[in-house]
Amino acid sequence: MTTENFLPLDGYRVAEITVVWAGPHVTQLLGEWGAEVIRVEPTTTIQPYTRGAERIINTADQENTAKLGILAGGINPETTPGLDPWNRNSSFNSHARNKKSMSCDIMTPEGREAFLRLIEKVDVLVENNVPMTIERAKITYEQLKEINPKLIMLRMPAFGLSGPYKNYRAFGTHVEGMIGHHWLRGYPDGTPDETGDAFTADALAGVMGAFAVTSALVHREITGEGQQIEMPLAESFLPALGEWILDYTMNNRVADPQGNLHREHAPHSIYPTKGEDSWIAIDCTNDEEFNSLCITLNAHDLLNDERFKSLAKRKLYEQELNDALARYTQEWDNDQLFHLLQSVSVCAGSVHNEKQLLESPQLRARDFFEELEIEGVGTHTYPGIMTKWENTPNQIRSSPPKLGEHNEEIYIELLEYTEKQYTDLVNKGLVGTDYSEEVVPRTWE
Amino acid sequence: MQQLLEGLRVLELSNNVAGPFTGKLLAEYGADVVKIEPLEGDSARHQGPYKDDIPNVETSLLFLHLNTNKKSITLNFESENAVDITKKFIDKTDIVIESFAPGQMENWGLSYEALAKDHEDLIMASITPFGQSGPWKDYKASEIVLQALGGPLHANGSAFREPIKSGGNIAQYHTGIATAFACIAARLRIIRGGRGDHIDQSIYEAQAGFRDRRTSFTTGTSYTGYVAKRQPPGARPASGPRMTTDGYANIFASGSRRFPAALDLIGRPDLKDHPDAKKQPHLFSQEFASELEGSWMAWLINRDKKTAIAETQEIGLLGGAIYTTKDLIEDEHYRSREVWDTIDHPVAGSAAYTGRQILLSETSRKKPLRAPLLGEHNNEIYAEIGFTKKDIDEMKKNGII
Repeated sequence: MTTENFLPLDGYRVAEITVVWAGPHVTQLLGEWGAEVIRVEPTTTIQPYTRGAERIINTADQENTAKLGILAGGINPETTPGLDPWNRNSSFNSHARNKKSMSCDIMTPEGREAFLRLIEKVDVLVENNVPMTIERAKITYEQLKEINPKLIMLRMPAFGLSGPYKNYRAFGTHVEGMIGHHWLRGYPDGTPDETGDAFTADALAGVMGAFAVTSALVHREITGEGQQIEMPLAESFLPALGEWILDYTMNNRVADPQGNLHREHAPHSIYPTKGEDSWIAIDCTNDEEFNSLCITLNAHDLLNDERFKSLAKRKLYEQELNDALARYTQEWDNDQLFHLLQSVSVCAGSVHNEKQLLESPQLRARDFFEELEIEGVGTHTYPGIMTKWENTPNQIRSSPPKLGEHNEEIYIELLEYTEKQYTDLVNKGLVGTDYSEEVVPRTWE
Repeated sequence: MQQLLEGLRVLELSNNVAGPFTGKLLAEYGADVVKIEPLEGDSARHQGPYKDDIPNVETSLLFLHLNTNKKSITLNFESENAVDITKKFIDKTDIVIESFAPGQMENWGLSYEALAKDHEDLIMASITPFGQSGPWKDYKASEIVLQALGGPLHANGSAFREPIKSGGNIAQYHTGIATAFACIAARLRIIRGGRGDHIDQSIYEAQAGFRDRRTSFTTGTSYTGYVAKRQPPGARPASGPRMTTDGYANIFASGSRRFPAALDLIGRPDLKDHPDAKKQPHLFSQEFASELEGSWMAWLINRDKKTAIAETQEIGLLGGAIYTTKDLIEDEHYRSREVWDTIDHPVAGSAAYTGRQILLSETSRKKPLRAPLLGEHNNEIYAEIGFTKKDIDEMKKNGII
């Protein structure tokens, strides 16, 4: 590599057998920074919660689902499944840019052969399946390093490759329960069933996995050694809760649900503003900020209230303070109040939904979002790359791959299958660009 | 066996959570991280809770956690010598992590351009709430504000109540990892013949690129015009957090492939033939939903949370118990995997910490080191860049270090 402006991972090839959210996020980041990422995905069975193929619903039901605000499983453009909804799933398409798709079922002998040929040609393999799946497929690191001794293999099951929960199956939201985050982020006066799902574990594991793989590549460049990286979702999250864990191990204190409370700051919460489901976050750390807040809100009675005269007192009468502030904030438009408070140096920010995020002047000014035209999907705006490098401009290089879109290129050019061998695999139904009706019944039409 | 990041030298000019977490990650995996603190110390040293709730710059739990494996020196940035001293350190540094307000480093004469002039391999990561440019770059922000503006906060919590933030300092921790990834990617590029770079990491942008639903939801909105909403508690029958004898378990039964097995498990195989059994949970009829939910809750309330999880895992359901910190630390699984490090500290004493995130097949882990005392390594580190014992004493006397 000699050209100045290459991306850091240019020239590395990454294979992935990933499902759901966390694994695909690792390879999203590696792909964004230059790696050639090849998704190994079967057309003979459904990879769970990845392209949304296990629960395709018709337009009317999609419309109802979207109206209820249920978007986590992904949704199709204009809430219409079309002929190939698995190529048009919002959740898949939000991470799969810059990736290639190769259809291959590693559980079949033919698929296994192709996969092992691929392993010879890659630098990195990323997988996040339950450990028994990888063992059953006989593709553990011990087995693969015989074929490629320099391979870096990232394994990211929910709970690890050992221990009593080794083969426990969990989404990010379940992992968060098992490490204490669900409990911690609950309403202080509520119960865990009010808290709702969060996939924070997937988000943290994604960036952590990309960091781990890249660190292992640095190490390999210097020492020539490959490596297995074992990174359970649960364990990659634990350090983000470090101070709460120490509060138990040092002070014997079990953390209570925190909601919007802060240990020391008051006011510190989410306050109602004008309009449906409209809110603002306000965080004051000292008297000066509290005074500016009250003056801006025209809440002079709060300024003169003995109960709110110092930070310590505001913390003591926090509930009364928050109730009183809410009566003022609900008269305001949240964005108007947000900018006004910032102009007097009060730390505040609107609670923005996705529509408002897409309109953010700050993100727009920094060119965060990108427009992509995808065949069969249309032209839409996508979240871009979360880190800017001053001297290395970067943007999305290619659209999310359709199922099996790169089969020919990968089987014939990369893995050196003959035309005939390739056609045989296609004729056997092992390689293709579609799920058969047996795998995905066309019930939505 | 050599640590992953052995030989890498990092200068951390950063306080609170995000930057120090970047430094902690680099240190954990082998980099040599020197933290330059202002004379009063990193702001995290002044945040509770403290060991035994007694305020002390050496016993803030947040600081103790975020600064393991690092060295600490002090430096008064307002002093005349600060620029020269920092430049001396840069001669020995591969990566600088800073989190001052945009323009502050420049005001001190320490901009990336100034520092990189004679060091084209320098990597500098600047972490700020909103980034180095744009109309909001000078806005104030904190964890709750960044989650509100950038993250999925609006979708957290109950449809019947105010939205709630994610726990602790999640947005800042996430940014810390994203920055560590960027720093090491930049390092990899240098190893492969490239040049250094200035990384501009906005916490707000990290939240906008957050895979905790944010990117997925935003794409969904971009596809349909609809936004995500907080759901009512118990909206999905037989799925989500439910009460057990000793707390809550969150199990995904309805809406999954294993739903029929779950119906067998709870003794309601008859419901498998109901036409709703194949639908998504929010499309169930009222009659099916209440029939199912009643049987599901009755099954769960007769079990403790770990047993409920063990029995449902047995049939392949996804799920997890809802643990408190006590449940977590006492749990046999994590203990058997040795996730807790016992670390001794001269002021805070000995305690179990959370440390590593990854296990490597070919590289054994080094023994974790406690967080440094404020300025603990002044003599050692200032001597390394050429100051004599006399110079160092002089600088201490003059309030420079």
